Amino acid sequence: MPELLQAESRASVTPTARKWKLPAFSRELGLAGAILLLLVLFSILYPKSFLSLENFKMVLRNLAFEAILATGIMLLMIGGTFDLSVGAVASMIGVVTGWLMQRAGLPAPIAIGAGLLAGAAAGCLNGLIVAKVRVNALIATLGTMGIYQGIALLVGGPGIRFGTTFGQIEVGGLQLPVIIMAALALVLHYCVTHTRFFRQYYYIGSNAKAAHLSGINVERLQIIAFTLMGLIAGIAGIVFASRLATANSTVGRGAELQAITAAILGGASLTGGRGTIWGALLGVFFIALIKNILIISHTPSEWQEIIVGAVLVLAVAMDFLFSRRKAL
Amino acid sequence: MSVLLSMHGIRKRFGGVQALNGVDLDVGGGEVHALVGENGAGKSTLMHILAGVHQPDEGRIDWDGKQNVALANEHAAQQSGIAIVFQERSLFSSLSVAENIFAGRQPVKWGRIKRQELYQDATRLLREVGLACDPKTPLHELSAAQQQMVEIAKALSLNAKLIIFDEPTAALTETETTALFRVINDLKRRNVGVIYISHRLEEIFRIADRVTVLKDGVGQGTFEVCEITTDRLITLMVGRVLTFHRAEAQDRSATPVALEVKGLSDRSLETDVKTVLRDISFEVRQGEIVALAGLCGAGRTELALSIFGARPRDSGEVFVNGQKIEIHSPVDAIGAGLAYVPEDRKEAGLFLDMTIAQNTAAGSLKQFGTWWFDDAKGHAKAEEFRNKLRIASYSAKQVVQSLSGGNQQKVVLARWLLIRPKVLIVDEPTRGIDVGAKAEVHNLIRDLARAGTAIVVISSDLPEVLAVADRILVMREGRITGQLSGAGATEEKIMRYASMKVAA
Repeated sequence: MPELLQAESRASVTPTARKWKLPAFSRELGLAGAILLLLVLFSILYPKSFLSLENFKMVLRNLAFEAILATGIMLLMIGGTFDLSVGAVASMIGVVTGWLMQRAGLPAPIAIGAGLLAGAAAGCLNGLIVAKVRVNALIATLGTMGIYQGIALLVGGPGIRFGTTFGQIEVGGLQLPVIIMAALALVLHYCVTHTRFFRQYYYIGSNAKAAHLSGINVERLQIIAFTLMGLIAGIAGIVFASRLATANSTVGRGAELQAITAAILGGASLTGGRGTIWGALLGVFFIALIKNILIISHTPSEWQEIIVGAVLVLAVAMDFLFSRRKAL
Repeated sequence: MSVLLSMHGIRKRFGGVQALNGVDLDVGGGEVHALVGENGAGKSTLMHILAGVHQPDEGRIDWDGKQNVALANEHAAQQSGIAIVFQERSLFSSLSVAENIFAGRQPVKWGRIKRQELYQDATRLLREVGLACDPKTPLHELSAAQQQMVEIAKALSLNAKLIIFDEPTAALTETETTALFRVINDLKRRNVGVIYISHRLEEIFRIADRVTVLKDGVGQGTFEVCEITTDRLITLMVGRVLTFHRAEAQDRSATPVALEVKGLSDRSLETDVKTVLRDISFEVRQGEIVALAGLCGAGRTELALSIFGARPRDSGEVFVNGQKIEIHSPVDAIGAGLAYVPEDRKEAGLFLDMTIAQNTAAGSLKQFGTWWFDDAKGHAKAEEFRNKLRIASYSAKQVVQSLSGGNQQKVVLARWLLIRPKVLIVDEPTRGIDVGAKAEVHNLIRDLARAGTAIVVISSDLPEVLAVADRILVMREGRITGQLSGAGATEEKIMRYASMKVAA
C-alpha cells in the first residue's frame, strides 16, 4: 500500500511540478532579466551618456537611501506587515542627530549612537501598537508617520546643518552610503535565508495562526521586526544627512511608498510569506534604472511616475495570472 | 498497557454554552482510542484542551505519570509530548515540506540552519509516513492527502507520546486511508497513544481498540470496540429528547416542481477543496421544505453555492419552474428567482453597522426608487417586517450589530421575504441562536413555504431537520445517499445515511 502512495506522489509531484520548475521562474530572476535587457538596450541606444561609469555611480548613489529602507521593508513584508512611517523616521533621526551635534554639542559618534537608539525606539513603538494593541499596520504607521514627521519639523525647522560628512567618503570609487547599503543587505540576506530566528518571519507571513500553533512567538517577532525597521530607517537618515552635510526635515517624504513599491516588484506580497532581500534590491535598482533612462532620453519627468506605476501593476498582474493558470 | 493520559470530570463553558459537562477519557500507551459524537458534541473542545488551546473550567488531567498537570498553552502541550494533527491543516503553503515539518524547530548551529541535516531528518520522517517526495518541494505543490501526511510527519517530529488525529481521513482516498492506518499501527507498536476522531464509524472498527462516545458535552461511556455495534454507537450519539415542535410533514408530490437540479458535478480547482460534488440530482416542489442533512464536510454548502453560481461547476443543469436557466454568477441566480442565505450571517449575509431598514432593503433596492433611495418607504417596509417577524428592537433604525443572533437571522430572512424568491436556500439558519428564537425562525420558514416558496434548509441540527422538513435528503461525501419523508424520519435513520459507506 505505501508503494501506491509513493507512485502517486511521484506522478503528481515530481514530473508536473518539475516541468514548470525547469526555468525556475521567480520574481527575482524575471526582474534581473528585465534589468539586463534594459541595460543592454540602452547601452546600445545611448552609448555615451548611459554607458558610463560616472552614470552608474550616480545611479547607485541616488538609490542607496531607498535601498536601505527597502531591505527593512522587505523583512516586515515577509512577516506579513509593513510600515508607512519609515520615511518620516529617517527624516526625524537625521534631524535629531544633527540637532544633538549642532545645538547640544555632542561629539559625532555619541550623537549618532543616540540617533540610532531613537530610531529603534520609534520602530519599537510601531511594533507595540501593531502587535500588542493590534491596530492594523496601515492605520498605526499612518498615524505614527504624522507624529514622526511633525517631530522632525519641530526639532529642525526646514533643515539643520549636519556636523559630520562621513557619508561623502569614497572607498574603492564607491560612496559610503552605497557600501553601507550593500553590507546591510548582505547581512540581512544571510539572516533571512540561513538563520532559524529570521526564517520564522516566513512562517508568520505564510500562516500566522499555524505559526502560533507551532510554538512561534508571533507578537514578539513582529515587535522585533518593527524595531529593526526603525533602526534601519535611522541608519538611512543619518547616512543621507552626512552625505549632504544637511539634515533635511522632509527628506524621507514619499520614500516609504517607493520602498514598498520596490519590495513588491521584488517579489513581496501584501499577505506575506514571500520575498527575498536581494529581490528588494533588484526592485529598487529597476526603478532607479527606469528613472535614469527617462532622464537620459529627455522624457518629461511626469512620465517617471506613470511608467513606474504601470510596471508595478503589470508585474503583479502577470504574477497573479501566472499562478492562477498553474492552479487550473 | 500503561495509562498515559487520564482526563477526569472535564467541564468547559463558552459564554452561555456548556461545551463540556463532565467528560472522562483515558488513553493508554500503544492504544488507539476513538472519540465519536455528532457535530458540536464537544470533541474538538476536548482536544483543544489537550492541545493547550483552551483551559478547562473544572476537572483534572493526569499525564504521563504526573498528577494534575496544567497545559497552559500550545507550546507547553507540545513540550510535554502531545501533538495534534489538525482538521484544518495548519501548514505553510509557500514553504518547503522540510520547513513545514520543522516549523521554527530547524536544526541549527550558531543560529544557522543546518540544511543537510534538515533535509535528512525530513526525508526520514517522510519515509515513516510513506510519502516519497523531495523535502525541498514547496508545500503547495502537494495534493491535499500528501499535505495531510506532511502534517502527520510534523507530529512525529515532535517525538510525541500522544498524537491526536482530528478527522484525518476526510480528504483521503481509500488507498491513502490504508497508508494512514499503517502509520497509526506503527505508532501503536512504538507505544505511542493515539486519539482518533472520525465520523466514519466503519473506520473506528478497523483501527481503534476502544471508543468513547460524547453527546452534548457529556461522556456516554467508553467501550471495547469488539464489544459494541454500529447501531449501539449511533443510538448513544443521537438518542435525545426532541426539543422542537414538529410540524406535520406535508406530502407535496402533487404540486409543481419549483427547483430541479440534474446531474450536478464539480471539479475542485484548488487541491485543498475537500469535497467534490458527484452527480447530484433532486427536485423541490412549490411550497415544499426539503432539508439537506449530513455531517460537516459532506458537501451541502458547496452544493448550495454551486446552484447559486458562487462556485464553479463542471456539469449539471438547473431548472426553475420547469425552465432551464444558465447560472454563472449569483446575479444570474437572483434574476432567476433563487435566493441563498449563507451560513455565516455576519460574514456574508449582513451589513453589521447598517440599520435594520437598510439591511432589509439591501436585496431589493429597486423597489424603493429608481435613482434615489426612498427612505420613508424603506423605513415603513422595514417597520412592517420588524413587527411581523417580532424582531426585538426599538426601531427599524437600530443598527444590526446590536441585535442578538436570532434577531439578526430574522433581519436576513426579512430581506428575502421582500424579494419573494421562487426558491430559497438557507444554510444553517439557526446556528448559534437560542431555542426560543430557533422556533420562531422555523415558523418563519414554514410561513414562507405556505406562501409558495420552495425551500431548501441545510442543517446539521437533526432535531431541526425533523422539525421543519417535508422531505429529507442526506448527503455524504458529495453525494446524496438517502431520501426520507419527513413523517417517517428519525435521527437514527438520518445518521445511518450520513455515516454510511459510499460504494466506490
